[in-house]
Amino acid sequence: MHDETNRNGRVDGKHLLRVDGITKSFSGLTALSDVSFGIERSHIKALIGPNGAGKTTLLNIISGLLSPDSGHVYYRGRDLMRLRPHEIAAQGLSRTFQLVRLFTANNAKVLDNLLIGAHSKLKPSLLKSLFLRGIIRHQHREVRERAYEQLRFVGLERAAGDTSPSNLPFGNQRLLEIARALMAEPEVLLLDEPASGLNDAEVEDFKKILLALKEKGMTILLVEHNMKLIMDVADEIVVLDFGRKLAEGNCDEISRNRKVIEAYLGSDYTKLAGGNHSA
Amino acid sequence: MKVKTNIGWLILLLFIALFPGTLGRMSPYYNTVLILVGIYVILAVSLDLLIGFAGQISVGHAAFYALGAYTSGILTVKHGISPSIALLCGLLVSGFVAWGIGRAVLRLKGYYLAMATLGLNAVIVKLITCFASITGGASGLLNIPPFRIFGLTLQDHTYYYYFVWGVVILVISCCLALARSPFGSTLIAIHSDEEAASTLGIDCPKYKLHVFVISSMLAGMAGSLFAHFMGFIAPDDFDIFTSILILVMLFLGGVGTIYGAALGAAFLKLLPEVTYRFQNYELFFHGLILILVLIFMPKGLLGILTHIKDWSLKSKHRSNLSSLGMER
Repeated sequence: MHDETNRNGRVDGKHLLRVDGITKSFSGLTALSDVSFGIERSHIKALIGPNGAGKTTLLNIISGLLSPDSGHVYYRGRDLMRLRPHEIAAQGLSRTFQLVRLFTANNAKVLDNLLIGAHSKLKPSLLKSLFLRGIIRHQHREVRERAYEQLRFVGLERAAGDTSPSNLPFGNQRLLEIARALMAEPEVLLLDEPASGLNDAEVEDFKKILLALKEKGMTILLVEHNMKLIMDVADEIVVLDFGRKLAEGNCDEISRNRKVIEAYLGSDYTKLAGGNHSA
Repeated sequence: MKVKTNIGWLILLLFIALFPGTLGRMSPYYNTVLILVGIYVILAVSLDLLIGFAGQISVGHAAFYALGAYTSGILTVKHGISPSIALLCGLLVSGFVAWGIGRAVLRLKGYYLAMATLGLNAVIVKLITCFASITGGASGLLNIPPFRIFGLTLQDHTYYYYFVWGVVILVISCCLALARSPFGSTLIAIHSDEEAASTLGIDCPKYKLHVFVISSMLAGMAGSLFAHFMGFIAPDDFDIFTSILILVMLFLGGVGTIYGAALGAAFLKLLPEVTYRFQNYELFFHGLILILVLIFMPKGLLGILTHIKDWSLKSKHRSNLSSLGMER
């Protein structure tokens, strides 16, 4: 971590991923203005804020699907802004989507989705697939084993590899999307509202998965509305409101922050959060 | 079950292998029909890689078919180059043009891509008509020599039949290998959701270009085979209606399966051999059959076959259960 000095001369050894002064507007409407924060290695950082605060926009900028009007994203001190989405993914950033986006064309199955997730490992070029089929078959077997491991890890071992993803219950589809993202063996996981649409039991299971990932050293940026989940897993919280960073800090600081309570949480939340922490 | 599907394939291969000696004996005409079937199987199967797997709709496949045919025709007629080398050149020219045009055109999506490829087809046909001194213009290119390989001239339709079907089987097995490999899965990811695919590290423009090039090269090869078979080619053979015919074959047979495309091509090329008996009503019955298939078999002809297979498996399963007294 000591060598992570970015080109601007700013020493940034603390953070694995850092957004720096991101501003983005859509036809005059400011979605993000001058947002900066960093994530330390093996930390879970929650990104919260009311609907329309710019959380998903920020995630899209980090993963390269949108380019900001100004500002930078640094990953291991390297500026990601010049890179295209697939190059950013290859650097070790994987993400999931707010509305689950699984591959279903051509009867693609659960297992296909996971194998596609391993794309940056396999790199199946046209010529390789035609002429080096022995190598491909060998790699395929390894990747398939890893796919079943990931299914077990997210608790989908009962979903057969050859079922269609759209036949899975919604909660399982979310888990499958996370398993797919994990197939790329990322260092940073960007999760866009992974717990929305899950019932209480599923959220409880999901929490275990997040903590297990953290245990393994995964760095996670978690966009989420479920405050109970966030209070239980997050190391730090960033609050966005109308595209501006309202506050940043650990769970206690945020739950006591007056600005946050006024803008977002509502006055009765303080009691709830306090209750959780004493329990 | 694995053995069973293999037996089905063996029977089909045996039929193709024995055809010239048996049915083909009755009239050489049947051999010519089957050669054309083979050429259209290549066209439909190669288009399936592009449309069925990568999800990029092209209505200009005949443009590359034309490029292959004319490259082969011009090189052999005007420059006396050997047909086998001309065929390779046809492959390369179609691939090269596809590479150049694909870089621009494949940025378009859906209907816009369809329109652009349709335009490309029209432009290619127009260019062929205009450069009459090289291409023979609207009246066509005459006296294209038959295929010759290793000093053996495949003038006889029986020999050419085996050559074409050898190529067809090679093409189908290559396309199947691609479709079932991780390369095929990558194409399916692009088909489903380009943005999501790119966040998993997939370079979508690169993969789309590669599949467009390989699909066009195969179409170019079909064109070469066609030119050396007919000995005469004209712009009409490669117009937009040919592209649409290939598309209909693909959707009729079942998109995204490779086998389906082959089945559709064979069906649509053989259908006139049956409907011509209706004489004046030929087109009526041809159209009627197409409409019925498309209405009642939305997954194409192959969809019906797999449906029957599933059904028979299920009923067998049920009878097994009932014999054990375990029926639900």
